[in-house]
Amino acid sequence: MEHTKISTIEGLNKYREKILESEKNELPTVFVCGGTPCLAKGSRQVFEAFKKEFGAQGLSGSVELGIKTTGCQGFCNQGPLVTFADKDIVYMGVKPEHVPEITEKTVKKGEVIASLGYRDPQTKEWATEYSRIPFYGHQKKLVLKDVGQLDPARIDDYIAGGGYSALVKAFGMSPDAIIDNIEQSGLRGRGGGGFPTGRKWRSCKAIKTDVRYVICNGDEGDPGAFMDRSIMEGNPHAIIEGMIIGAYAVGSNKGYAYIRDEYPLAIENMKTAIEDARGLGLLGKDILGSNFDFDIKISRGGGAFVCGESSALMRSIGGNVGEPRAKYIRSVEKGLYDKPTVLNNVETWANVPLIITGGVQGYRKVGTKGSPGTKVFSLAGKVVNTGLVEVPMGITLRELVFDIGGGIPKGKKFKAVQTGGPSGGCIPESLLDLQIDFDSLSDAGSMMGSGGIIVMDEETCMVDLAKYFITFLVGESCGKCTPCREGLRRMLDILTGITEGRGKQGDIELLEELCDCLKWGALCALGTSAANPVLSTIRYFRDEYEAHIKEKRCPAGVCKELITYRIDEEKCTGCTVCAKKCPQKCISGEKKRPHTIDASKCIKCGVCRAVCPFDAVIVE
Amino acid sequence: MEKIKFVIDGKEVEAIKDRCVLDVARENGIYIPNLCYNPEVKSSGGSCRLCLVEAHQAGRMRLVTACNYPIREGLEIKTDTSLVKRIRKGIIELLLARVPDSDVIRELAANDGIDEPRFVKDEGENYHNKCIACGLCMQVCEEVVGVSAIAMLNRGPDKIPGTPYKKPSEVCIGCGACAYVCPTDAIPMEDNRDTRKIWGREFKMHLCSVCGKPYMPEAQIDWIVKTTGKDRVFFDKCPDCR
Repeated sequence: MEHTKISTIEGLNKYREKILESEKNELPTVFVCGGTPCLAKGSRQVFEAFKKEFGAQGLSGSVELGIKTTGCQGFCNQGPLVTFADKDIVYMGVKPEHVPEITEKTVKKGEVIASLGYRDPQTKEWATEYSRIPFYGHQKKLVLKDVGQLDPARIDDYIAGGGYSALVKAFGMSPDAIIDNIEQSGLRGRGGGGFPTGRKWRSCKAIKTDVRYVICNGDEGDPGAFMDRSIMEGNPHAIIEGMIIGAYAVGSNKGYAYIRDEYPLAIENMKTAIEDARGLGLLGKDILGSNFDFDIKISRGGGAFVCGESSALMRSIGGNVGEPRAKYIRSVEKGLYDKPTVLNNVETWANVPLIITGGVQGYRKVGTKGSPGTKVFSLAGKVVNTGLVEVPMGITLRELVFDIGGGIPKGKKFKAVQTGGPSGGCIPESLLDLQIDFDSLSDAGSMMGSGGIIVMDEETCMVDLAKYFITFLVGESCGKCTPCREGLRRMLDILTGITEGRGKQGDIELLEELCDCLKWGALCALGTSAANPVLSTIRYFRDEYEAHIKEKRCPAGVCKELITYRIDEEKCTGCTVCAKKCPQKCISGEKKRPHTIDASKCIKCGVCRAVCPFDAVIVE
Repeated sequence: MEKIKFVIDGKEVEAIKDRCVLDVARENGIYIPNLCYNPEVKSSGGSCRLCLVEAHQAGRMRLVTACNYPIREGLEIKTDTSLVKRIRKGIIELLLARVPDSDVIRELAANDGIDEPRFVKDEGENYHNKCIACGLCMQVCEEVVGVSAIAMLNRGPDKIPGTPYKKPSEVCIGCGACAYVCPTDAIPMEDNRDTRKIWGREFKMHLCSVCGKPYMPEAQIDWIVKTTGKDRVFFDKCPDCR
């Protein structure tokens, strides 16, 4: 539709009616997932194939309305995903050659093509309905409800679905009433800290000042985390609407969206959304005749992990080196450009319209008393179903990993789950029935973090894992304070020694001392939490550390210096596959006779083990 | 200036609200080890973490850096608890491993009972020439001198002060403020009669027209004349002969 400025609330309602009227389509709209993983799997080609097919068939309704690319639909490892407006059908692994059949059967006649659905690995049954696919069935989509159900680049899609009606409602409330609502909803910061959002807003509003800022933190830097990216890519207007409401509540006229530059699609979609909102008068001067001015500027991050820390982020927006400062005077008092600032994470902002629309009671129906609402997680690692999931707070890790995640692939044993990214910790099997909420996770020595969930199986070495995270943190430490700059690299030295067979008595204790020093002594939250991966692995897997140090043995068979590869004579059939694939050519033997590995040449790359059809390669 | 009362090591003290704990402690004869803080440089402090103290407020205790923690009513500070000592000792050991040649650090370590660090001492490629990367040199150059000739290069363990691209800086005026404020004496500055060498550049010294002593680089005089509009003739004589 033509974008002219809407200057009143009635104007917005009329605009919505007009969209709904003009977009009536006889056939169901096809949604092709345009999230980054599906794009990588070829969803663009599927989209083009639909466009061609629709054009060739001259289907009623314009091509633009009949086929849309959406944000992430969640089930990333099954992509490209295709869904249909108002229909309980989801197709997986769709290829361009499937398009004519889908158009003919599902689009035109409403028939379901079972073989494009989800096949349960156990029952071998096909399912195309959300409710019958465990990955979707156990989720509770609120924040992600529209991600995957609309074209993020079309503001009309968002408005047609009721978008910006929370803003209209908010404009009918006093700023204090909005803050009351947010406070009573119990919304806590989704970026990791879990600080009560309403309290933050109230403190900021209480400061007398000429200028206040609101910031959206889109600098998602945890390895394996992609929640915020998916929301920015898939439903940017929800974030913008949340920010306008927040700015109105605290009395700010200027907002920043800080997005890491490694997220080009998120930047593009946020940029389009901001321009479109501005075009309709939802950003800018006198929004919807409310006499309230507000606009948002995008600030692109340079890729430093530490810039996800609020004070470093604000310095970075200001054009300085992204380093944290002591937050003894909080940023709600003195933040960006030393002015009172409210900084919230992407997901937090996206929760705001839900609270305003659904009311406090409605919002609190989901989740736990201390952590109401839902949480979006990115499920990754050694788990069958990987992707983006949204679950009510309070569900257990077991449900998340086994019911939604489908358990561990290849029949391997579950070992631990890492929550909260590099600042989080590992949670062992004995705590799998732990409820997921801010307080339970930190009691267990981990943290909610931004929502990255990495599942590990029996073949993960916990010392090696701790080393991985500390390596990441050494590279990402800003280097400003002594404990983080010096302590982390000393920890890495010790961990490297342990994994390479140079571990000695007292190493674990020295690691614990260093962790203690970081936890108490570091300047910012990244430093104080950087010890978590080491502390939690020592806490729950101390025996594994001891095996490395005392017996020079890696129980998981990962640390190369501590393992040897051997072929089990009983199991080996002499098929010669391993010998052919070995890059060192150090496997020998006659055809149909057991083979042997020359340990002196073996580089422990694991290729033989991966290719052996008989599980005859043993790691010791 | 609002005055408030707070408690430090069991003693009630009156001080101006929002001044930092370290300054007030000093005035009250309480020593808190510190390196990166200089009261004359507002942006300094908070990085070496040696001045950690326990701050008790509103029923909550945390370790804070005395050099930038603001004094408020009802605050209680403890500078000498076992927690403070334990964490500070850990930090000093890390610094000692980084700059084992620094007398300042060796002395601080000795005070806490550390002779040798349990970590491999930095040497060779990792040699830091006494520098603890606190950033005070950069801060004084930017904030007090106003030229920003040096910056903190790199990040993480590689963070180190230096001139851009480690090439002689065009804007450096050779004033040596960085070397004077450095808490570990880590910035080499070589003064000869007519010249001064610092940060890879040689500066011509101005000689006093009366006593003939070199007392300031010409470039520094140029800078002062340019920024303050003072008459250049004023700088002919050194402060002693004026």
